[in-house]
Amino acid sequence: MELSHINKTFPGVKALDDVSFDLRSGEVMALLGENGAGKSTLMKVLSGVYTRDSGSMKIFGQEVGDLTPRKAQELGVAIIHQELNMCAHLSVAENIFLGREKTKGVLLSSREMNREARAVLDRLNINIDPETVVGDLAVSKQQMVEIAKALSTNARILIMDEPTSALTSKEIDDLFVIIHKLRDEGCGIVYISHRLEELQHVVDRVTIMRDGKFITSGNFADFTMDEIISNMVGREIKEKFPRVQCEVGRTILQVKHLNAGRMVRDINFELREGEIVGVAGLMGAGRTETTRALFGVDQKDSGEVVLDGKPVVIRRPEDAIRAGIVLAPEDRKKDGLCTKLSIRENIALPNLDILCSKLGVVDRKKEREMAAKAQKDLSIKMPSAEVDAGSLSGGNQQKVVVAKWLARNSRVVVFDEPTRGIDVAAKVEIYNLMNELKKAGIGVLFVSSEMPEVMGISDRIIVMCDGRITGELDPHKTTQNEILEYATRFESKIAKPQLA
Amino acid sequence: MEKSEKRNPFSRMMAIRGMGQVVTVTIGLIVLCIVFGILNPSFFSGKNVGNLLRQIAPTLITGIGQSFVLITGNIDLSIGSVVGMSCMLSATMMTKGINPWAAVLITLACCLLVGIINGELVARCKLPPFIATLGTMTIARGIAQIANNNYNTDSIGEAAEGFRNFFYYGKILGLYNTIWIAVVIWLIFNFLLSRTRTGRHIYAIGSNLEASKLSGVNIVRTTTKAYLVSAFCACVVGLIICATSGMGTMDAGNSYEMYAVAASVIGGVSTLGGQGILLGTVIGASIWGVLQNGLQFAGAPVAIRNIVIGIIVVVSVLMDVVLRGGKPRHRKEKGEAAKAEPK
Repeated sequence: MELSHINKTFPGVKALDDVSFDLRSGEVMALLGENGAGKSTLMKVLSGVYTRDSGSMKIFGQEVGDLTPRKAQELGVAIIHQELNMCAHLSVAENIFLGREKTKGVLLSSREMNREARAVLDRLNINIDPETVVGDLAVSKQQMVEIAKALSTNARILIMDEPTSALTSKEIDDLFVIIHKLRDEGCGIVYISHRLEELQHVVDRVTIMRDGKFITSGNFADFTMDEIISNMVGREIKEKFPRVQCEVGRTILQVKHLNAGRMVRDINFELREGEIVGVAGLMGAGRTETTRALFGVDQKDSGEVVLDGKPVVIRRPEDAIRAGIVLAPEDRKKDGLCTKLSIRENIALPNLDILCSKLGVVDRKKEREMAAKAQKDLSIKMPSAEVDAGSLSGGNQQKVVVAKWLARNSRVVVFDEPTRGIDVAAKVEIYNLMNELKKAGIGVLFVSSEMPEVMGISDRIIVMCDGRITGELDPHKTTQNEILEYATRFESKIAKPQLA
Repeated sequence: MEKSEKRNPFSRMMAIRGMGQVVTVTIGLIVLCIVFGILNPSFFSGKNVGNLLRQIAPTLITGIGQSFVLITGNIDLSIGSVVGMSCMLSATMMTKGINPWAAVLITLACCLLVGIINGELVARCKLPPFIATLGTMTIARGIAQIANNNYNTDSIGEAAEGFRNFFYYGKILGLYNTIWIAVVIWLIFNFLLSRTRTGRHIYAIGSNLEASKLSGVNIVRTTTKAYLVSAFCACVVGLIICATSGMGTMDAGNSYEMYAVAASVIGGVSTLGGQGILLGTVIGASIWGVLQNGLQFAGAPVAIRNIVIGIIVVVSVLMDVVLRGGKPRHRKEKGEAAKAEPK
């Protein structure tokens, strides 16, 4: 497959500027670039969602004209989106054959579909019953089903957009096995990811884009990590994990014996002034549930929260916000933003108590000032504060989520996976922001699945497994393996839980 | 930021979210008026315009209530029945000799109770709004019927003259009070929706319930407030109908909830929540009223009127979709999901 000199202009933006890209069968090509570099646009041109303005496109040596998603599919191009597109109420087989149902006359032939679905799944060594309802599967399994769906259409070119962002290390390994298998069968795979550290396990060649332009391309082995990053960002990033040393002060937050269902069991920890506490663990370890219980989103069964020496009662998020504990949630589209409201309105939403007069009338001037200040402080790239929050790129959306919570004076800020799916430069900005908070004496709780960043930014690491805290580690002394060991201490395997 | 301060009032107005659709339908409204004016020049006579505005008022008032609920991402099917309940309760009390103003207050309390029940069922008990308000719709209609033992009431009589003038027959500056009531209600609720914290919360929960909850918005209270506005509006319309006819009729307000949906949707309020402005509802209700009145004036039978109005509802929303480049104005994720599915 070969794309050359592709141009695509959206009103006001030149999204793709003379980009060329090629992919051979039997290889994995990484497509790298910052948020908004044009990776997704290029892939949408390839899969027929957008039509190009100019440039030529050859698939298997054959010139192709304007594509529609359907035509692209017939040519063997399949795309697996970052956000999974599955009908949660239907079964695995039904999802795989959605839109291409096998029928006998007018009747659906479920048995045949189940059988073929099983064949595809077996080919990938995926152990899923095709009759399971998709909503009951873990995210990682759902992703496998997406891949199976793509393969069942006899795809020869497979585009994976951030396939690992929701997976745990173990699941990522499984995914890589599948990718290798597909590659060996002769598929061409385009692999888009922000997690540079995983590329070495899976990628043959890389193409780097920046600001809608093709920058460079070549064998992965010929690049160093630093070269890749500086090509992506267009400048050197000095420190991937800037760390600031602070005097550790008084205890701000104490959580005692917090219980909330099965995923939050007897959680105890402390947060002190001038420190960032990282929370590590595998997917489903109960970290998000713990933050939600602390913040009052989910019902607590028992437990005490002490803030600045005073016990506080948190039944609803309002109580937590009033007390000075705020949470920047994990899934920005689902939990973080009202995508149809403007950026200004999103930033104002949790702060309306500050922005409103006694009668509850919003002070628009103050509101605009708050949005302008947030834009400046976090360098959010946006045309104006009045555009829909949903129209921003991922990294900038994340900054808006963070901005919502920094606009007020809080004592404790909880970040749940703040860097998921955003590029290196934006990550560093988020880290710097956390460091600013730390310097200002605000307690920062930092939940993350990416071990290098937990180790690089935190001053202390709490490891969770299966709803319990299984260890507390010093990031200067620990290793990824040690964290992983604590993160997999399931109850059945240990006679006596050892708490460090 | 500085730019928006400097822009002239017109472009600032156009920058209001949802103004685009309002402008489109306003043009439609003007075209309709011109067409009916040509068909029948007396369409623009002072008398007819006065009538027309009085016809629009109830649809507008219920439309305002429905818009509030729709923007939260819910729906209120009980509006029509609450109109009937309001009409029957107030009329029955007045025929039984209770002071009309006391009757109004008691009626209002009963209607607001329906609003609270709706809000609690939808937000706290998490019933689908369609089902919850279908239930209260049936109950409210039942109360309307039971109020006077399954009969329409007699005339509410001389004692209620003040009541009837206040809600219908009185005039200020040459316009009937009904019209002024609609204007005042619009002004109050438009301010509430666009300028206050409650209004912002209503948009937020309609746009993303989970994100709003995590931002400290009280979902139950906000949803209930929207249903209260809806019930209040329905109550006022019931009182207007009672004042107009001078008696209580059990089927007053029948299918008003749907007219209210139509007015809202024509005016650009999204049935999926989070989008729409009350100015749109005014235009929507006006189109509705102009069609009713104009077609009646042109001598079209009721059946034809219904068909035409039904078509207008669908076309106005369709036009909006087409004008936005074929993208549904609803949730972006949904649109993308649909695109990604191989068909």
